[in-house]
Amino acid sequence: MKSKLLKKLALLAAGTIMAGSMTACGGNSATNEGGEASADGETVKVGLLHSLSGTMAISETSVRDAELLAIDEINAAGGVLGKKIEPIEEDGASEPSKFAEKAQKLIQDDEVAAIFGCWTSASRKAVKPVVEGNNALLWYPVQYEGMESSPNIMYMGAAPNQQAVPAIEYCANDMGYKTFYLLGSDYVFPQTANMIAKAQIGALGLETVAEQYVPMGHTDFQTIIADIKSKQPDVVINTLNGDSNVAFFKQLADAGVTSNDVMTMSFSIAEEEVNSIGADLLDGHLVAWNYYMTTDTPENEKFTAAYKAKFGDDRVTSDPVEAAYIGVYLWKAACEKAGSFDVDAVKAAAGGTEFQAPEGKVAVNAENQHISKTVRIGKISADGTINEVKATDSPVEPDPYLTTYDWAVDAGLKPLE
Amino acid sequence: MSFIKKNSKNIVFTIIVILLALVPLFTDIGLLKSSSIVRYGRYITFAIVAIGLDMIWGYTGILSLGHGIYFCLGGYGMAMYLLMQKTGGKITDFMQRGGFTDLPWFWKPFLNLPLSLILIVIVPSLLAMIIGYFTFKNRVRGVYFSIISQALTWAMYTLFNGLQPYTNGTNGITGIDTIIGSYYDQTNIRILFYAALTALVLVYALSTFLLGTKFGKILIAIRDGENRTYFSGYCVSKFKTVVYVLSALFAAVAGAIYVNLNNSISTSEMTITFSVSMVIWVAVGGRGSLIGAVIGALLVSACEFSVSSAFPDIWQYIIGIFFTVVILFFRRGIVGFVSDIFEKVTVKKNKEGSVA
Amino acid sequence: MDIATMIFNGISTSSILLLTALGLAITFGLMRVINMAHGEFIMIGAYTTYLVQEVFSKNLPESVFDLYYIISLFMSFIVAFFIGVVLERLVISRLYGREIDSLLATWGVSLVLQQAARSIFGAQPVNVKAPGFLQGSIGGTSSFSYVRLFIIIVMVICLTGIWVLMYRTDFGAKMRATMQNRSMAQCLGINTKIMDCITFGIGSGLAGIAGCSISLLFSIDSTLGTKYIVDTFMVVVLGGVGKLIGTFTGAGIIGLSNVTLETLTSASIAKFLVLILVIIFLQWKPQGLFAIKSRSLDE
Repeated sequence: MKSKLLKKLALLAAGTIMAGSMTACGGNSATNEGGEASADGETVKVGLLHSLSGTMAISETSVRDAELLAIDEINAAGGVLGKKIEPIEEDGASEPSKFAEKAQKLIQDDEVAAIFGCWTSASRKAVKPVVEGNNALLWYPVQYEGMESSPNIMYMGAAPNQQAVPAIEYCANDMGYKTFYLLGSDYVFPQTANMIAKAQIGALGLETVAEQYVPMGHTDFQTIIADIKSKQPDVVINTLNGDSNVAFFKQLADAGVTSNDVMTMSFSIAEEEVNSIGADLLDGHLVAWNYYMTTDTPENEKFTAAYKAKFGDDRVTSDPVEAAYIGVYLWKAACEKAGSFDVDAVKAAAGGTEFQAPEGKVAVNAENQHISKTVRIGKISADGTINEVKATDSPVEPDPYLTTYDWAVDAGLKPLE
Repeated sequence: MSFIKKNSKNIVFTIIVILLALVPLFTDIGLLKSSSIVRYGRYITFAIVAIGLDMIWGYTGILSLGHGIYFCLGGYGMAMYLLMQKTGGKITDFMQRGGFTDLPWFWKPFLNLPLSLILIVIVPSLLAMIIGYFTFKNRVRGVYFSIISQALTWAMYTLFNGLQPYTNGTNGITGIDTIIGSYYDQTNIRILFYAALTALVLVYALSTFLLGTKFGKILIAIRDGENRTYFSGYCVSKFKTVVYVLSALFAAVAGAIYVNLNNSISTSEMTITFSVSMVIWVAVGGRGSLIGAVIGALLVSACEFSVSSAFPDIWQYIIGIFFTVVILFFRRGIVGFVSDIFEKVTVKKNKEGSVA
Repeated sequence: MDIATMIFNGISTSSILLLTALGLAITFGLMRVINMAHGEFIMIGAYTTYLVQEVFSKNLPESVFDLYYIISLFMSFIVAFFIGVVLERLVISRLYGREIDSLLATWGVSLVLQQAARSIFGAQPVNVKAPGFLQGSIGGTSSFSYVRLFIIIVMVICLTGIWVLMYRTDFGAKMRATMQNRSMAQCLGINTKIMDCITFGIGSGLAGIAGCSISLLFSIDSTLGTKYIVDTFMVVVLGGVGKLIGTFTGAGIIGLSNVTLETLTSASIAKFLVLILVIIFLQWKPQGLFAIKSRSLDE
């Protein structure tokens, strides 16, 4: 009995030492950072809030990496307003409540000047009241469903009129597709994107043959694929998310369906997903984004080289990665224009700020805090690259509520206040 | 000395409550960061769940891996009321997206506060009663019950995600105020914090009282020898159902308070992961002692928060290894370990005393 | 959708379920260990397949590339077997007779294994390319893909293998003896420690094979295993703990009803309904379809 107790004591001691060293680490960083307001001292703190564990880690880690890269570059070039940026990383663990909790911690305890973070609509919706209530700034890096413009969020990804709407236009006008099959994961982005798509397809006088949703993380697609085969649509508008996408395309190819049989137009497949599905299975399928790794600009050449140099040769850049990178630079530009890190000043100065991004010139729209972006339709090729097949000549102004489209106004898509 | 020994657990509980009550003060003088109040408020609601879970697991021997359901039902009920307050009874954006022009029927009661509060209590209790009545009557026991409760959680999670026009799916209900006004008013938060603390004290007192009665003794008898209790003439399934409903009720109340302190609720609170963490709180603190459940809930949540902040990339290693080690070597949790030492020391002292 | 496709889809889903649940039928059904890290052993199998593929594509000529998949079927068993043995020695062996504790402890283990996968392979999913002989399908409109046929074959081989091992070999007899009455088995000179270790290893190894088989259809990432934990436990419990025929029937029923209901409703609703139906069924027969008959009161 005694020796057992001793053993437990030893274990406990080991545990305490471990815990102690942890809190010491935490404590150290806290004393280095703590106390002063964000803009005082040598550094300015920003929060990086992404899921590093859980189901969304597959997407969000590389976005965090892009933000770290931008911060490194800015620090190497002398920082912002003479101060180095100090990133504080937090794990949202793919849970909206964790996101809100950590956002609160970053804003209230660490007093960060800005938060770069979130991916899913759920996490953004959870963080939105936190940044609004505390008057902080969130820079959101992903294309999303639109119908939102919070004064405390800067939207770096595409609004529907910068991705979904032109993609369906391309299918209808350039490809001449007549029948559409809408397939998505069961959450707000696909639901909203498809709501818009249905209104648009109807206005174009074309046909939606089916609208199917699968639960998040769903991996068995044989029933859906059999349904697609029997309905024979011209194109599948695919808004699946994460690992469902991988399973869907693997099984689609396995069922012997290629892009020659049924074309897909995907809104969530970027270079990283192409790698994890296998490029040969995706040969010829269409995607819609604002940026591809192959986008031909000098800025992109520099960006991809830097990204690979920092994180490894096998890593690829993608639209959300680039949007996250843009976010940090636009924040820097807004701070410099405002001459301070104060959230209100930065918000006021942000409108009209420009950045020569890897995807081309982007500018913040003062009215809705989204950015203007060039729309690019891409085709996946068997070597794993996505090549642009059509692009707009100039950046498209963001229109999150689709107020400039008659069919959208007629369909009453604007959310209730 | 004997008074302390007899009431050691209640004394520890009192100390914990006093410490918690001082949290807002600590933030004022800068000992704790300012987001701590609302965070510890949430941990208090976790402690309430943990007490309920300990009642059924530690005392009665039923391990539920599905208490997230009751927590969420309470939480969603409160959130639905708060959302209706915010929209003024109009339909919301997710209902509009689902094609509704009118409020769905089961949302209508949530326009009214007393009715909402009743439903927050009634709905989870009723569900627990149905589940409990059938499973316990049919003598589904031990791990079978755990596995079924886990499957039920998964089923409910899928359902809530699938019924987006009614529940807003994975996004859950956000953008709400608290029951007494804005979430960003520090006074409101403090009032809610003390309300949660009061609820914890009440739940603890009620549970301690119940365990002290014959009812409590029978629960322990069921845990230690279900068939013997049965043969002694007690209707085991009834006792099990009652305590199961009680713990579901605690979870629902905790969920309703949690929503006020969390400002949102989503289906991620209904995952198996969350339900298992509830069990882990109890296991780490010490099953079979209410104070253990309280300590476990507070400590594990606080540790998870700081460890994940300090090591965002690898914190799951630390947490995972910690759980495994506690389960392997400290079966009775922190409380069991501490009382072992305490006993050892006092026994030694007594011995020395008798020699001298 | 025609009936032939539906039946084939149902069989395919069932065979995947059975393959993923077979390891659990041993660790849970025989050993009474609630292994919440079971899904992570499936993940280990899938990642092993990826590693073998990388070794082949980097070091060996193109002509033998297709062999990688056959090798990785064995390798995934071996790797999962050894990790299973280590886990048994370190954790499980201390928890026999403490079913609930084994559930909680292995939950911690599953967190560690998931994080390990992220640390080693990165958070992004990795890709496994189907070997040439498994690309394509037979039939016209209602096509049956080679991969899915292959999974059915692997399932049949594993099931037969386990059945022969358990009921037709000396080793199997000792294994069942140990699991049914440990002290009696010890008296008869069986080294129960080694039996435990190997049995758990075999259960884990089977999960590894399952991971290798499904890697061609699903995404390989650190969360792969979490998707199977509920389904596999339900298969084993529905079938009746400790009976291979039960696991077989359980997987068949869940798989077929899932596909039928999904065709009739939607994927979310189908999943919900299947789980609820199984739970209701278990109210009626708490011991599952094929219960081991026993006069013991506390079984």
